[in-house]
Amino acid sequence: MQGTVELGGKSFLLRVEDAGELAGCAPGQFAMLRGEWDGDPILPRAMSVMRVRAGGGADFLMKEVGRGTRLFRDMRAGDRVTILGPLGHPFPAPDAARRDVLVAGGVGLAPLLMQAERAAAAGLADHVTLVHGGRTGEDLVLQDDLRATGVALRLATEDGSAGTRGRVTAALGGILDGATLMACGPTPMLRALHALALERGLPCHLALEETMACGIRACLGCAVPAREKPYLYVCTDGPVFEAREVWP
Amino acid sequence: MALSVTVDLTAFALGRAWKTPVLAASGTFGYGQEYEGLTDLSALGGIVTKGLSPRPRAGNPLARICETPSGMLNSIGLENVGVEGFLRGKLPFLRALGTRVVVNFFGERFEEYAECAALLDGHEGIDALEMNVSCPNIKAGGMEYGTDPETLRRLVASCRRATRLPLIVKLTPNVTDIVAIARAAVDGGADGLAVINTVSGMAIDARARRPKLATIFGGLSGPAVKPIAQRMVYQVARARLGVPIFGMGGIRTGEDAAEFLLAGATLVQVGTWNFVDPDATARVARELAAFLAEVGCARPADLVGKLELDESLLPHTPGGP
Repeated sequence: MQGTVELGGKSFLLRVEDAGELAGCAPGQFAMLRGEWDGDPILPRAMSVMRVRAGGGADFLMKEVGRGTRLFRDMRAGDRVTILGPLGHPFPAPDAARRDVLVAGGVGLAPLLMQAERAAAAGLADHVTLVHGGRTGEDLVLQDDLRATGVALRLATEDGSAGTRGRVTAALGGILDGATLMACGPTPMLRALHALALERGLPCHLALEETMACGIRACLGCAVPAREKPYLYVCTDGPVFEAREVWP
Repeated sequence: MALSVTVDLTAFALGRAWKTPVLAASGTFGYGQEYEGLTDLSALGGIVTKGLSPRPRAGNPLARICETPSGMLNSIGLENVGVEGFLRGKLPFLRALGTRVVVNFFGERFEEYAECAALLDGHEGIDALEMNVSCPNIKAGGMEYGTDPETLRRLVASCRRATRLPLIVKLTPNVTDIVAIARAAVDGGADGLAVINTVSGMAIDARARRPKLATIFGGLSGPAVKPIAQRMVYQVARARLGVPIFGMGGIRTGEDAAEFLLAGATLVQVGTWNFVDPDATARVARELAAFLAEVGCARPADLVGKLELDESLLPHTPGGP
């Protein structure tokens, strides 16, 4: 790996030099990552790919929340990371026939920044609004990268230190009619958007997170209650689901 | 001068030759196909399938897994495709690999064990059955079938009558006397013993004041349980019950596998580490071959039970501490 980049608060970028097969991945797909530490913690971590760089490198956006992410944050240039991926299904590709509202909570920004960059590269930046929410302004990382995409931006913080005061859903006024929602972030935020989308009949794609050990549907840990059968799996059926498929 | 040996990893058990003594453990390897392209499936000693019940099961609510120090807890709830789903949808892929297939199975009721064993009998491509006796026995207040010797003996005997396939019984470690349990399984007709299943455990989120798993308790696996597993493999091997032991619990390297052989296992299974490294089962076999070469052993059997120790030092041994 190349090293980490601190982004303020406990957020950081993990930059890997040779991301192998991730080169062809799409926004929303993820990889199982593990440093080559000898033992504990044993399980790899499922992380959305934030960016694939020209030359074969990739960036992952993380926040230190426990032992695993602390070890990633402490990694240095030259340390090795094992990568299994890309895994799972991505968000729908940008489309001139749609108007997309991307809703990101904290480091859930990762796949949606990639989605915004894809839209910009396709000349569709003016079809996209990205709403980024956090607890405080510290959580609203990578604002320069977001502005560079040219998509419309809205910000929200629970303490009012940046953008609209309140949850990210408070910043959605006036942009939902006829829009397609795509979201990634903490589960309570996704639950709120799920309810909102179903109530208003909006197409909505949610990138879900659930503890998983393997990423390949062997451990069966990442089950999500689903509408048409008891469970779907975040690893292979998701992580991006249509809202009406899950959480009946 | 160092002796050079040519290592042959072939192991012999249950009247069969196994390409290597290292199998992938039940519940950590799906039905095999999940790992296609991530490891050389045809090079494995064998694949033990996800546990099957006569009919499909949906499994437990969330959260189903959580990480613990050097291990993980799971409470998946024995989710599986059912025997018919397996025979039609999963076995054809496994059969084509040329790798030994062991089918793990269980019943939700006493009678369902024999029903499941009978349904799995007579299908080409199944080399052996492995009984999961860690399910709760509702009639006995939810106690695991595998914790009472007489219940276990009768349960194994009912399956023994239901199938012609070699029958491995996977022992639960959640007992006071593993040897009494192992003996009961063999008395019931077990052809082999798998030692051990997961260790019952619990994890707590102090801030939420809640257990981390939806079912409160779960099964602990990974390197954290290796010392428990090795003690139990050694105890069962020392009882000389006349059946081969499949040793497992926290294996992640070839040297770990060698330790289990020394403790008395003829074959081993890699479990949780398949989640960490999809190539783990094959890699452990490669590393075991290198270890055997290093210590001058030509075959895995040359290590089995070759632990050097003074049995008088065992607790509860006349003359011991």
